[in-house]
Amino acid sequence: MLAVAAAGGPRIAALNEAAEAAGLKLGAPLADARAQAESLQVRAVDPTADSAALRRVALWATRYTPTASPWGEENSADGFFLDIEGAAHLFGGEKMLIADLASRLQQNFGLPARIAVAATPGAAWALSRFHTAPLTVLPSGDEAAALAPFPVEALRLTAETCTALRRLGFKSVGALLDQPRAPFAARFPAEFLRRIDQALGRLDEPLVPIVAPPVYHSLRYLLEPIFTQDAVVALASRLMHTLVHVLTRDDVGARALRLSLYRVDGAVETVDIGLTLPTRSVTHVARLLDLKLEALAATQDAGFGFEAVGLAVIRAEPMPARQSKLDIDCHPEVQAQRALGDGPASSAPSFAGHLRWPPQDGDDVERCAALIDALRQRLGPHSVRRFEAVASHIPERAEILSLVDGEALQSPPPGRRRSTADSRRAGGSCTNDEAKTGHGEAWEQTRRPLLLLPRAEPTEVTALVPDGPPRRFCWRGVTYEVAGAQGPERIASEWWLLRTLNPSAHSRDGEDPILNGAKAERQQALTRDYYLVEDADGHRFWLYREGLYGRETTAARWFVHGLFA
Amino acid sequence: MAQPSAFSVMRNRAAVAEELRRLLPRMEEDFRAARTVPLGLSVIDRHLPRGGLSCGALHEVVPETQGTTPTAFGFIAALLIRLSTPAISSIPPCGEGLGVGVGRPSAGLDALRQPRDPPPYPPPQGGRERGRRPLFFVMPRYGLGPHGRLHGHGLGTLGLDPARLILVETAHRRDTLWAMEEALRSRAPLAVAGMIDKLELKLSQRLQLAAVDAGLPLLLLRPASTLESSAAATRWRIGTAKAARDRFGLIARARWHLTLERCRNGRPGEWMVEYDHVAHRFSLVAALADPALSRGAGEQAFGKTRRA
Repeated sequence: MLAVAAAGGPRIAALNEAAEAAGLKLGAPLADARAQAESLQVRAVDPTADSAALRRVALWATRYTPTASPWGEENSADGFFLDIEGAAHLFGGEKMLIADLASRLQQNFGLPARIAVAATPGAAWALSRFHTAPLTVLPSGDEAAALAPFPVEALRLTAETCTALRRLGFKSVGALLDQPRAPFAARFPAEFLRRIDQALGRLDEPLVPIVAPPVYHSLRYLLEPIFTQDAVVALASRLMHTLVHVLTRDDVGARALRLSLYRVDGAVETVDIGLTLPTRSVTHVARLLDLKLEALAATQDAGFGFEAVGLAVIRAEPMPARQSKLDIDCHPEVQAQRALGDGPASSAPSFAGHLRWPPQDGDDVERCAALIDALRQRLGPHSVRRFEAVASHIPERAEILSLVDGEALQSPPPGRRRSTADSRRAGGSCTNDEAKTGHGEAWEQTRRPLLLLPRAEPTEVTALVPDGPPRRFCWRGVTYEVAGAQGPERIASEWWLLRTLNPSAHSRDGEDPILNGAKAERQQALTRDYYLVEDADGHRFWLYREGLYGRETTAARWFVHGLFA
Repeated sequence: MAQPSAFSVMRNRAAVAEELRRLLPRMEEDFRAARTVPLGLSVIDRHLPRGGLSCGALHEVVPETQGTTPTAFGFIAALLIRLSTPAISSIPPCGEGLGVGVGRPSAGLDALRQPRDPPPYPPPQGGRERGRRPLFFVMPRYGLGPHGRLHGHGLGTLGLDPARLILVETAHRRDTLWAMEEALRSRAPLAVAGMIDKLELKLSQRLQLAAVDAGLPLLLLRPASTLESSAAATRWRIGTAKAARDRFGLIARARWHLTLERCRNGRPGEWMVEYDHVAHRFSLVAALADPALSRGAGEQAFGKTRRA
């Protein structure tokens, strides 16, 4: 028996069959129960574990339909909705489906289940709770008649509303349905009428699915569970084959895929795959899955095997047909059909696509995207990156590493301008558009070191005059005689950033010490004088002196910041 | 009487040796490499088989000391630029005839610069295409270790568009090897570069085979202490030298001390070169306008050689 703390002492939250047989009731005070039944085992309710278990079961139930929605607190959080519209015929009808669901819940999880099928979630909820039969199928349109004999609790109302209704003499749903609405609207919260409308289908009730519903979905049940990675990949590629037809029909390609592996013991493993460019290639997807499964082999457990495997396209993007390959799209019949079907609507994007995909270099871009996909599966999603210039004069802030996406691969050859919108999106900290008009121009024109130290390292420098070039410096225990120094290149702190930061720093003082610390550091950022320094052996360094001598500081510090080739 | 016969024997020997040298790459099945990219400096190109750096081979770049790693990296970047710039081979070579190379230049081998046989099949991509494919650089997650990390603006300074470089970061050595082989086998990039600390002979053979199959160059940055044998086609050792200065005493061009330590089907050599980041080309130090300056630099280079 499980108990929950409530007003006036702990109350019974859940019972097993033995306790029910002993005459205990849900919601009764725990003290009464102890008096009533001896040898009572009481545990505290663990809502977190409950919701996790419910989530697991709901995830398992996506084998019936992609839209599974576990009940929240307002639905008393002990079940889930399945939207089986369009899915029931796959199991031989609604009755067969719920029979299968009930038997599997019993087998896999040992859960006795009450299942109802109705046209609205509200009616299904009420039927599953208050109908005498554990498995019910309600024909559409009969909601009002079916709900009429049930108590008012069947409408998913709050406890207070139910008590108030009972005090007013309304004991069944049927009594409520006949009444005029206006007085109720005046006396009860809006939720009351909303629940009635939802149960009868006058008002929509959106379900929040446990996983994002896929755009395209393909699932296969197996007679014998499979264990090996090869078998999973082979099956997944067969599923992809079935998806390719729909994808081709709609002129789209998959950008994100999810492989769901339904284990015999009810657990569900999901493998997500993101792609750089939309694809319809079965072999490519199979290879990526292979790589990903190999990388996940340590953490994933096949258990007793997988009894069902599903492959879903989560994100699909337009992928117009191309002429370079012999494709089903090139078939004249298919094209004629498309021309008849949706006419100019489909021809416009495919034309634009042809501009974006010149046939002669399309293969290169595709191969490159395939390579990047493969690398990402094994090395991690953030392992493949490229340089992106940022409008900043501070060397360490002048560039970021950004993920490579499909657009980047198709980007025009260097020298052509990118739009400002693109650059703004790419460079996160970019504030002034004028400074960053194009990709080609954003790279520094002045001499910069090939290698930049992650953190400027302090160094001991001997100079003739405090604001002159260095003559000798000691770095990492080695003393270098400077044969020639070139500079200074003066880089001041970015005062325009300080101006925007100052007011917020004042208004939110003491809120976030780390953030404020960073701001304070930025406010005090000193001017740097950079020197290109060459030693007698030809090693070239990038040194800077922090602070203007006499104006900002009296003892300037020196740092090594980069190494030249 | 004896004089002409000895001369003819020598000539015959030279012709036979030349013929054998020409056949040697075929025997090693290197002829599958679609093209070679000349460094644009005939003194060096003469030492390389088929007159240039072979695409479709593994090339190792080793710094002379730990401290010259940035320079070695600069050399890799310069090679990448040579490989990726379409019109580069049309730039006339400079420094012709003024070589200070220590290798033995032989006029009879000049014919090797131009391959007599046309390549077995035309190169897969035209010049326009070559300019668009990306370059992959595979490196461990810790980057270049004590030398910091790659700076995009610095690459731009050398003349390589940073937007064309795709960085691949790996966590283990095994992943690094896998990523490099994967990149080669996909034939998607124009060239693959990478760095790896330890490389057994077997693994280097595997990488070399992958590079040959793909017809793509793989440039490997190795640590200064590397001594193990490898299947690489060339091994370059890179040292620093004092930079070329203009008349105002400002650094004009970087100077590098190149040593071609190993070169399959070619000859080793040693040069002091300058790299011009605007024209993307190498030139010999001796080819400078100011003879006094260049002599000084050349002497320094030879002094270094003698010490080594």
